[in-house]
Amino acid sequence: MAVQPGQHRMGPGGVPAGRDAVRLFGLRAAPVDDLAAQAGAVAVACHAMAARFHQGGKLVVFGTGGASTDAQHVAVEFVHPVIVGKRALPAISLTTDVATVTGIAERDGVAAIFAHQIRYLAAPGDIALGISPDGNCRSVLGGLAVAAELGLLRIALAGGTGGDIAARGLADHLLVARSDDPRIVKELHVTMYHVLWELVHVFFEQPGVLAPAVLA
Amino acid sequence: MSGGARPEMEALYPFLYSGGSDLPAVLAQVRASTVAKAAEITELRRVIAGQDSGRLAAAAAEAAARFAAGGRLLAFGNGGSATDAQQLATLFLNPGSGARPLPAFALANDTSVVTALCNDIGVEVLFARQLAAIGTSSDIAVGLSTSGNSENLVRAFEEAGRRGMLTIGLAGYAGGKMAELDSIDYLFVAPSASVHRIQEAQTTVYHVLWELTVAAVAGLDRP
Repeated sequence: MAVQPGQHRMGPGGVPAGRDAVRLFGLRAAPVDDLAAQAGAVAVACHAMAARFHQGGKLVVFGTGGASTDAQHVAVEFVHPVIVGKRALPAISLTTDVATVTGIAERDGVAAIFAHQIRYLAAPGDIALGISPDGNCRSVLGGLAVAAELGLLRIALAGGTGGDIAARGLADHLLVARSDDPRIVKELHVTMYHVLWELVHVFFEQPGVLAPAVLA
Repeated sequence: MSGGARPEMEALYPFLYSGGSDLPAVLAQVRASTVAKAAEITELRRVIAGQDSGRLAAAAAEAAARFAAGGRLLAFGNGGSATDAQQLATLFLNPGSGARPLPAFALANDTSVVTALCNDIGVEVLFARQLAAIGTSSDIAVGLSTSGNSENLVRAFEEAGRRGMLTIGLAGYAGGKMAELDSIDYLFVAPSASVHRIQEAQTTVYHVLWELTVAAVAGLDRP
């Protein structure tokens, strides 16, 4: 059986065994180490996001396919914090209004589904967070482009080599999960947005680091 | 921040309580925290690989047999775990990369069904009622929880067990109430006290389960 990108060869006879599972788990370690090596970029992105929240901005999150579930996860993470004592922060996912998503896709094409919503739901002081496992999702590229036009802070989570998001410089802060397996990319994105959420609060809870003089 | 949370917060982020606003110091602490969290998740995955790999392969083989018999995968969870249930369902149904699509859907998708059940009866029946209406004995019920204590998952597994479905549970901490149920055939516990690390490890568990299941289905197809 041909092994496709993102699928991994199983043991003799193709019948999966425990050792296959052990090997699959092991594939995650190096990309996580690479994420740790991007800690500086994570910290700077958290600071920029905290500044926008501090000034009254909200977070709009978007992605397609499996990444649409990540967009919803990010929204619930910020709106309904799992850690007692953390304040709720404004966030919405652009993936949940099926009527609007399918309506835009039918009329204007998939590239417009987030761009349209950002144009009419977002404000210039907001934060746009686009999630694209290969960095090439047309809908996410379209959303980030409109966000740039309107002046939103743009954060992107991508995979592989960052795709068109990286090539076109569409994000102010781009975090890349360096794997060509979309499952592993997704797992790294989950860690990335958990860390972004938790560490935004570190800045948010110390307004001194969000003062205009510090941000200038 | 509540008063009770302060000692814990102070231990985690002492710089917040030292006065002043030294941005470089805060950025350095945030970088160190990112590195520490990355190390935590890699260690948690290593532990789970050691304790659960054989059972994951066995669960995948049973799931493949259910699919071969015409079964579907029905996934459920609350909050962040609802998004995991949706990811799991779309991974089976629309995997891409040339992988074989298999029937699956998530029980939190339909806002009409969800709000009707919650409003008319209560959130505790949210998944059990849907399994009773939709499920068959060939199906596979997969429920995800970080605490392992969600009442609507407990009721769903009891319903799924009564109907003869293959039942697979993902939980965190020490497994919670889900660890006490006889109705869960395969329970995979991510032994951590962090909701975030639990969810990240669970994502890997169900991705590996999917990959092993697709391979097992392909194996069944061979003469």
